[in-house]
Amino acid sequence: MTSNTYPIDNNRTGKTIYKGKFFNQLLIYIALTLGLSFTLLPFLMMILSSFKTNLENLRVPPTFWPEIFTLENYRTIFNDPKLPLLRFYFNSAFVAIFNMVSTLFTSSLIGYMFAKFQFRGKNVLFGWFLAMMMIPTQITMIPSFLILARLHLINSLWGLVIFSMVDAFGIFMMRQFCETLPTELLDAGRIDGASEWQIYWRIVLPQLGAPLATLGILGFMGSWNAYLWPMIVLQKIEVRTLPIILTWFNSTHTGQGALVMAATVLIIMPILIIFMFFQRWIVQGFTMSGMKG
Amino acid sequence: MNLAVSRNRISKGGLATSKRRFVTSVTLPLLLYESIGLFVLGWAFVLMFFDYSPGRIGGAILGLGGSNPFVGLGNFIEMIKGTSVQANLFRISLKNTLIFAVVVLPLNLAITLPLAWLLESIGRRFKALYRTIYFLPVLTSSVGVALIWMTMYNPQSGWINAIIRAFGGTPVAWLSDPRAGFANVSVAMWAVILAYLWQDYGYNMVIFIAALQGIPQELREAALIDGASPWQAFLKISIPLIRPTLLFVCVMTMLSSFQVFDIIQVMTNGGPGNHTQVLILDIYKSAFRYQNMGWAAAESFVLFLIVMGVTQFQMRVMRTNWEY
Repeated sequence: MTSNTYPIDNNRTGKTIYKGKFFNQLLIYIALTLGLSFTLLPFLMMILSSFKTNLENLRVPPTFWPEIFTLENYRTIFNDPKLPLLRFYFNSAFVAIFNMVSTLFTSSLIGYMFAKFQFRGKNVLFGWFLAMMMIPTQITMIPSFLILARLHLINSLWGLVIFSMVDAFGIFMMRQFCETLPTELLDAGRIDGASEWQIYWRIVLPQLGAPLATLGILGFMGSWNAYLWPMIVLQKIEVRTLPIILTWFNSTHTGQGALVMAATVLIIMPILIIFMFFQRWIVQGFTMSGMKG
Repeated sequence: MNLAVSRNRISKGGLATSKRRFVTSVTLPLLLYESIGLFVLGWAFVLMFFDYSPGRIGGAILGLGGSNPFVGLGNFIEMIKGTSVQANLFRISLKNTLIFAVVVLPLNLAITLPLAWLLESIGRRFKALYRTIYFLPVLTSSVGVALIWMTMYNPQSGWINAIIRAFGGTPVAWLSDPRAGFANVSVAMWAVILAYLWQDYGYNMVIFIAALQGIPQELREAALIDGASPWQAFLKISIPLIRPTLLFVCVMTMLSSFQVFDIIQVMTNGGPGNHTQVLILDIYKSAFRYQNMGWAAAESFVLFLIVMGVTQFQMRVMRTNWEY
């Protein structure tokens, strides 16, 4: 409070302000580091617990560092015939990659069409998209399930992906980007005799690198971490994706906290590290979209 | 000019046909796909007027009618003044969802705004590091988050109770004591709220950072030279300038907390004593555990109305001009 009673002078003399600045910076770093520990401690606890024995994990009060450092939990999981982790990784990867590729294709193609072509009913169609975008997926969950049941696609990974091949937000975003593409560039292609599909594939797509990366990683992450809809569709164990397997594993191993933490590490850490590298695009995408959860 | 003329000439030729063909080949499958979407939406809308269960063989059209009778607004009337278990549960979940959203929003802002502001004022390299770490929980699967926090909340061996014991307090059965509460909200609800905040706050933070970076530095400096403290500059300069972002973040946080499901389903599954039963969880259980899909569709519609209401509110406020 007192610092603002001697305004301009101190800016010139520098010394006091330097001191104040240093003190302020110190406080800032302390506050930020406190927040940092709040963020990191749960992760650390998970990792440390996974190296404890189940007995030690039940101790009151809990030990911080494992007294007996053991890899037993990981060994148990790798040797568990009921938990073929690779298969579940494959399921998750299939769903996420299929979703990503299909939405990238449809979003760029349809977005390009809305941006660069004139046709009757265009605005009506686009308005329809915007309206669909606002509807939470939980609303259509029940009839979607009933349709899948009639098509015998329950317990099929295909059933999980067919309803998310077109993404209204992706189309919206790609349209914004395609509008900035110079029409002359497309016309040059047309003069050279390229077909419309070739123009899309050879001229438009290469220009959309950054938004495609953003949208792709965002879509991948969304379906990798998806929980509710996969839980409804995938009822048999062997077709499940990782998040549902994790809850299943937890409910079948009550009282074995260390083991569950080891499974959690195995299921969330590998992809978390990959996401970390793509963080810039994820943040960018989130900031642009305001899409959440 | 030349170019414009030539473009005109081209589109008059055979190119117009190939363009039209392209548009048709894209829009036709799209129209089909979107019609399916509309059909699904329509089905969801119709379902809520029926007492529908997929186990019963009903009428010819979508299994509606017959043993899945039309009940008109019956489901909604039941929600408002019914005394059945499901009607009570719906009202409880609606209340819990509102509590959840109303508690999460201010707590989230109280963490993310100051943090973003602090992060804005430190060196570049550290900023990137801190931001990466703060953002980690957002990238984590919410099931993982839930399991980690369940371990922390464990009444015997959990860290939270260990800390409480170290300060001489009485340990709490965070996720299973239906009677314990704080400020009229059960401890289980507080527990899931904390876990949710932990997972979620990095998201709003990066949005605030982006907004704060957009403020011209001169404005803040001018205020500082005029004798404002950094805190005053934050309150009087930065906050008003990021008001549109602030509103946007509030609405998005509200909407996503109305749709909370994953963390609660794993941590408490609605318990203890329905204290954490939220709307989507109730919809999920009604539809897929009790096969009561007409009722669940009606519940979904209530959620839809809430979401629409909040979105409309946002649009209306966004439309007003912001002047400084």
